[in-house]
Amino acid sequence: MASKRIQKELQDLQRDPPTSCSAGPAGDDLFHWQATIMGPGDSPYAGGVFFVMIHFPPDYPFKPPKVQFQTKVYHPNVNSQGSICLDILKEQWSPALTISKVLLSVCSLLTDPNPDDPLVPEIAHIYKSDRQRYEETAREWTRKYGMG
Amino acid sequence: MAWREQSPERGSQVSSWNPGGPASHRESTLDAAESRPAVSVGEREDFVDAPKTSVSSISGAGEESLTSRPHTEHTVENAEQNPNLNTDSTPARPTDDQILAQENSIREAVAESSPFVGDKEPLAALRKEYEDGSAVFLQKISTLEEKYQAIRRTRGDGNCFFRAFIFAYMEDLVQSNSLQERNRVVTCMRQWKPRLIAAGYQELVFEDAQEMIMDQLNSLGTADPVMLPALETNMRDAGVSQMVVMYLRLLTSAELGQRQEFFSPFILGMFDDCPSVDHFRQRYVEPMGEESDHVHIVALTDALQVPIRIVYLDQSLGAAMAGVGHAEGAAVNHHDFVPEALQNATGPNAIPKVHLLYRPGHYDILYPSKSA
Repeated sequence: MASKRIQKELQDLQRDPPTSCSAGPAGDDLFHWQATIMGPGDSPYAGGVFFVMIHFPPDYPFKPPKVQFQTKVYHPNVNSQGSICLDILKEQWSPALTISKVLLSVCSLLTDPNPDDPLVPEIAHIYKSDRQRYEETAREWTRKYGMG
Repeated sequence: MAWREQSPERGSQVSSWNPGGPASHRESTLDAAESRPAVSVGEREDFVDAPKTSVSSISGAGEESLTSRPHTEHTVENAEQNPNLNTDSTPARPTDDQILAQENSIREAVAESSPFVGDKEPLAALRKEYEDGSAVFLQKISTLEEKYQAIRRTRGDGNCFFRAFIFAYMEDLVQSNSLQERNRVVTCMRQWKPRLIAAGYQELVFEDAQEMIMDQLNSLGTADPVMLPALETNMRDAGVSQMVVMYLRLLTSAELGQRQEFFSPFILGMFDDCPSVDHFRQRYVEPMGEESDHVHIVALTDALQVPIRIVYLDQSLGAAMAGVGHAEGAAVNHHDFVPEALQNATGPNAIPKVHLLYRPGHYDILYPSKSA
């Protein structure tokens, strides 16, 4: 059941790819994908390309996929392991969501961090108290890790 | 456990996964279930009622309800008496993996305890559950026995309303072989396809689920119709059952979305943390395992134009109006959810064929007596 759904999502992504991201199986395993997200133009991540790893659970879509940045990102809701703090990847997951929608949500999160629900409190603090410093650091990380 | 024992300054992080609002009991549900994997979870109301009963355990009422819901006592005591639960502060935030692994283990524990839908049992099985318990419940069950002959239990995992509803509805269709009603609902589901797409769901999300239900419906009246044993097998299969629940959740959510003006006063009045109908849909309707309330029932009833009778079994006394009971015994209240279009109708379509027994936090299927 899960593989049929994943297959359909893959076809849909190939037929109608979102503008700012791409995704597909990393190898032979249909349950293990890699995605790329282009840093949104109106964010300090602009110009960067971010790799994202996606793992589908065996009972997908009734359980959320596991989504993790492989590229280092300076962001209040992404930690050093690449874990993303995003409600739709946890308790607000629903089988009505797709990888395409998840990736778009991750893009939105890059543009609009959620510092009130931080995964990295230090970055959230800087984001709230010294926005310029946050943006500079995020741009620097993007140059360092997201362009290469 | 470590993941919910946050130090105060990290408290805001808890809210990132704690559903809050009407679902806030989930936290205690998780705790209780984690400490005792064998208990059933997903029956949040238990945890609301339980502290009252355990405090007043000397009084008759307290004893009765403890006995009547044995799980309640254990789970609540566990949560209340383990001092480590709230005093130990481990700052580590759980990873998504840990949270998911824990949720999975809870669900598995529940899964092992009961099938998605159980066997049809005589109503005496319900009486047996309360044998040494509440006199009120026993009286009410006597009242129930005047109208109902059997019960079929469903798994208490937050999806019980949807599972109970669709099983009872399909079982009635299979048994009555009513092709007229089958044709009506098949047409209704077909018409839902463009409406679901308009509601923002991709076809790939719901097409298989719709097909699964339609295949079973369409087999009625053919040389090889789905029979009750096959229906039971299908609806106990995780693949089928979850898909069907998802489909019904999407119909419910889309109905809410398309009639926001009608539903928003109920939703905004009932849920403190719901700024909009759309938020409610995404937060409390579409995710699997979110329990169903009146709003869900009204919306699903309207979406499929199927009336539902909910019979309430609880500790309340009095309130005999609208009850099916007689003056002597304890009245059992019920409520008919009838689609607007059928409310003034008198035909067979307006009479509920789906009867569900509601006990706080859970729905099971009831079977009316032939004579009733």
